[in-house]
Order: sequence, then C-alpha cells, then structure tokens
Amino acid sequence: MAVEIIIDTDPGVDDAAAILLALASPELAVLGVTVVAGNVGLEASVRNACKLLTLAGRRDIPVHAGASRPLLRDQVMGKYAHIGVFPDQIVPPTDLLPRQVSAISFIADQARLAISEGRRITICAIGPLTNIALALRLDPDIAQGIDRIAIMGGTFATPGHRMPWSEYNILADPHAAAIVFASGVPLILFPLDVTLQALFTQTDLAELEAANGPAGRALAGLLRSFDRSDIQRYGRPGGPIHDAMTIAFLLQPRLFTGSDAAIGVTLCGPTAGQTWMDPYGKSGLPPNAVVMREVDEAAYRRLVTTRIARIGAAPHPIPEGRKIKA
Amino acid sequence: MTAIPIIIDCDPGIDDSIALLTAFVSPELDILGITPVSGNQPLPQALRNTLQICELGGRNDIPVFPGCTRPLLREPIYGQFHGDTGLGNTRLPEPVKPPETIGAVDFLIDRLTLAADAGHGITLCCLGPLTNIAMALRIDPRIAAGIERVVMMGGAYREPGNRTMTAEFNMLVDPHAAHVVFSSGIPIVALSLDATHQVILGPEHVSQFARVSGRIADRLAELMAFWDRNQVERYGSRGGPLHDPLVIAWLLAPRLFQTRRARVFVEYESELCMGQTIADWYDKSGQEPNADIVTQVDAEGVIAFFLDRLSRYAAKGVA
Repeated sequence: MAVEIIIDTDPGVDDAAAILLALASPELAVLGVTVVAGNVGLEASVRNACKLLTLAGRRDIPVHAGASRPLLRDQVMGKYAHIGVFPDQIVPPTDLLPRQVSAISFIADQARLAISEGRRITICAIGPLTNIALALRLDPDIAQGIDRIAIMGGTFATPGHRMPWSEYNILADPHAAAIVFASGVPLILFPLDVTLQALFTQTDLAELEAANGPAGRALAGLLRSFDRSDIQRYGRPGGPIHDAMTIAFLLQPRLFTGSDAAIGVTLCGPTAGQTWMDPYGKSGLPPNAVVMREVDEAAYRRLVTTRIARIGAAPHPIPEGRKIKA
Repeated sequence: MTAIPIIIDCDPGIDDSIALLTAFVSPELDILGITPVSGNQPLPQALRNTLQICELGGRNDIPVFPGCTRPLLREPIYGQFHGDTGLGNTRLPEPVKPPETIGAVDFLIDRLTLAADAGHGITLCCLGPLTNIAMALRIDPRIAAGIERVVMMGGAYREPGNRTMTAEFNMLVDPHAAHVVFSSGIPIVALSLDATHQVILGPEHVSQFARVSGRIADRLAELMAFWDRNQVERYGSRGGPLHDPLVIAWLLAPRLFQTRRARVFVEYESELCMGQTIADWYDKSGQEPNADIVTQVDAEGVIAFFLDRLSRYAAKGVA
C-alpha cells in the first residue's frame, strides 16, 4: 500500500523538485499539499503549488493555504524570494485554486481521520514549520496520527546558507521548529550537512529533459533560471536540491545514513535559529530525531532526475527490431 | 441600544466566575460564546467550571467551546489561589450542558470572519492566557478585522508581578501568545495588576454581596470568601484583588476607569523577566502606542457596580 503523505511546502525551486518527485512515485499517495510562507510569500507559494500539480496532471490533489507569517519572528524571505510565481514560460499558468479549508485544519483533520481509521500519515516538511506547529497546538492529539515528519531543515557542521549559524527553514520560524522538535512525533531530519552532498549538474538537467516530459522540462528550466551552483562554496560544479531528499528517503531509505540524536533550536539571542544536535547523550535528553548524515549522491540524483523526467512523457519508443506483433 | 457582541475567553478560576456571572445579567452584552483555555486550571477543569458557572447563572443558552490545552511554547503552569477545582470550596452540580464539538480556535476564526465580512467587530474579553486568540490570529490573520477590541486582564506595569517578581500570571503562562496579541495592531484595553490591585474585595464586601445576590448568594459568597488572600501587608487590607471582573466593569461602566495610551512590549526571551509587560510611558521606543492601560479605578464605584449587577439574581424573572 502506498505511504500516505502530506507535503508541507513553500515552493520554491527545490520544493518543486520534491513535489514532482512525490507525484512521480506510485509508492506514495499525496493526500494534499499544504503551503506556508517561506522561500516566497504565501500567495506566490500557493500559485506555484497549483501550477506544479497542474503540470503533473494531478489537479485532484488538494492545495491548502496555511500560515502567511512565522509564529513570532518577522518574516525572513528566502535567498531566492525574487522568484515569486514561477514564470509562465517555464511552468504554465493554471486556473487551479487552493481549497477553502486552511492548511492547518487540513493537517489536523487528516491526522484525526487517520487515527479514527487506525492509520498514520507521514508529513514531508520542506518549508518553515509554522503550519505543522499550529496544527499540533490546535489539537495535540493529532501527534498520534502522524507516523513521522521528514524535515528538510537545520545544519550542524556546515555553515548555514541564509545566516552562518542557521539553515533557512529553521531560521524563518525557530519557535515553530521548537514546537515540532518537542512534539514526540518521530522526526527524520535532513540538514544542510547531507543536502549539500548531492549537487545537480548540467548532466542531470539534460537527464531531466531527455524524455521531453513537461515536468522534467519545467524543473530543468527552473534550475537553469535560478542557478544554485556555487563553485567557490561547494568546490565543484552543480547545485543542491535540498527538499527532494525527504521524498527520496521515503522511496529509497537505503540511500541515506543517519543516527539518532537529541536535536533542538536556539530561540533567542543573535544566533536564534541555530540547530544543535547531541548524538552522544551529553545533554541527558532522549533522542527525538534521526539526523541524516550521508547520502548516496549518484543514486539520489538518478532517482530525482529519472522519475521526474518520466512524468507525462511519451512511453519509451520501442526500437525497430524488437517490435512486438499485435 | 444594540447590545455589544462579545466573546469571553477565560480560565475559571474564581475571579473569572464572578466576571461571567456579572456578564450573564448584563443585557448590554450579547455573549456569543465562551472559550475556556488552559490557565488557572488545566483545560478539562476550566471547561467544566465554565459549564457549571453557566448553569449557576442560568445561561445554558451560551455556547462553550473548548480551547487550547497548553501554551504555545512554554510548559503549562496553573493558578495557586483558586483551590483544587478552580472554584475554591464551592461545589456545584455536574454540568448538564455539554461543550460544543468545535474548538475555541475554530469558533473564533469562523465567528470573527463573519464579523469582519459584516463590518461589525466583536469585543474579545480576555480573562486568561492569550493562547486561543494568538492561535486564531496566526492561523487566519484576516480575523483581526473582525475584532472591535481586546479587553484583557493581564500584565503588570508599575506593580510587581503576582506569579514571579516581574510577571502577572496570564502573561507568564503564555508570553509568546501575549506578544502575538500586543503586536497584532488590534485595539487593546489592558487591566493590569496596576488596576486590579486598586479593587480589593474584602470580607465586608462578601457579606454585602451575600445579602443582595438572591438565588446565587450562597455560592457567590463561598467563591468570594475563598478569594481572601489575607495579606494585609501587600494589599492594605484583608481580601483579594478583583482581577477578571474589571474587564466586564470596564465595558459597562468605563467612567469608573482612567486609562493612558502607551506601547506595550512583552518579554518572552529572558527567563528572569519572562512574561513581564513593559509600557513605554515616555515614548522611548519610537513605536506607536498599542494599548490603553488602565491606571486609575474608582474602587467604591466598581464595588457598587458589581453589587447592582449581581443583585439582579434576586430579581424576579432572572433564571
């Protein structure tokens, strides 16, 4: 049976890759896409989510708009906030609209429904954690209906990309992160330490476009337009696709190695938004997360590119000599 | 005159109960709902107490919506002066009326959205920690347009705190929620300890209330008698401060209060000063005022006001 997931997201280019990878994967049943303000403002994020679902031919999946700002801190926009709504020539426009119900109510309702039916849902959290924190506070019982939350967020040994001490999703709403970290729901964390191990190069973009599918073409177009490579920083060509790791993990957990740790987040002072982890039990706190440390880069890149390339693409042409007689 | 539409957000609590019983017999107020929150008591007890007070006051027509079971970030703490049940030694019958099935936060969002669309704001009477209100504001910021004002019991400006050296209880329980409300731009009237410590309900008042309040007299006198802090050094006399009821008195008899506008900040980072409310009396912050802080209360006038209101339970026709 397919793993039921909610994708909580602020698309965002690497969010787009995560969403498309999920939609390309029959192992996952996407119950809904819940949107939060983050990389770009809430309205643009909602538009982008609707555009991506339309692009992938999955208008049946509901989009729900969530929090338009963090719990307490002023909004910090993403480094790529200028993207706004994806350009129409890369991701075509759509008339798909978000549903009336808020993202927070949707998450709570789905978790409660799962509890009543003896199921559990998985949440892939690839934006600031505001929606999930609000849902957990709206109805703390829903924690019982959440199997685990796969979070792209945080950084430990690697300097942050938005501030030196902090990864963007956690920096944007550290209070929400604190609520989710303390929720008791099993967490799987993909910090920058692991997401920066996989860099997508021109070869990968060509791979995305090889089958001439609309999703592959669009994602390649986004990655070309909003280039994330930084050879000075990464020491080699290519740019990261952080968010898709949460989805890739659900598909092929063996691509990743991680360890149990107590994790937390600093809430005040100049380094607010800094994440810490305690793999050695120094704090006396019980582990609340599996923190991913390593990824099989080649396999991850292949998984992302081949699956997304396939969406909506014509079936592989069968070579002449091997045609099967009707 | 059309009644003022209000929602009472509370955590009963003895003084909350007196506030509710007063609002119940005030036709100038249209109580759209009551939204208990974790505060003086854990939510299940606060909810049960609310329902019991509704029954005592004969107002089972008012819907009661269960609110948040804990503060946004901090671990819950509870009141120290309300006895084991939150209602002192007063024993009330099992409530017959059930709470509503939808939660307080959803009710606030739905009802305030309607109010925003209709252009008729609702007044929020906040007697407890501000968790429900902050949650509703963060889930749907558009509801701010449906709030006429927040009249809150909370904070301490020139007075010291009552739970820590620096913090009043409601602010300390959920300082993050208080920050959300104070930074929301919604008009706020703040009845802090500066105001509530001016109105001490003493033993002599208790017997006065017992004489006039008809069918609720015994219960009301029990509640009020339990409220006596017996801390003459601190309050200047026997008795206890009439915190939460002042919110209702301000709405109905504003002439008994003097206010001063100022910017209010809530400390939510320092453990030593957690929940402290700071008023910018002399424009040091350069930020616009966000609250009318009650500075002076006509204490005798307020006691007379409550005697008049609660005597309505003796009148014929009051359920």
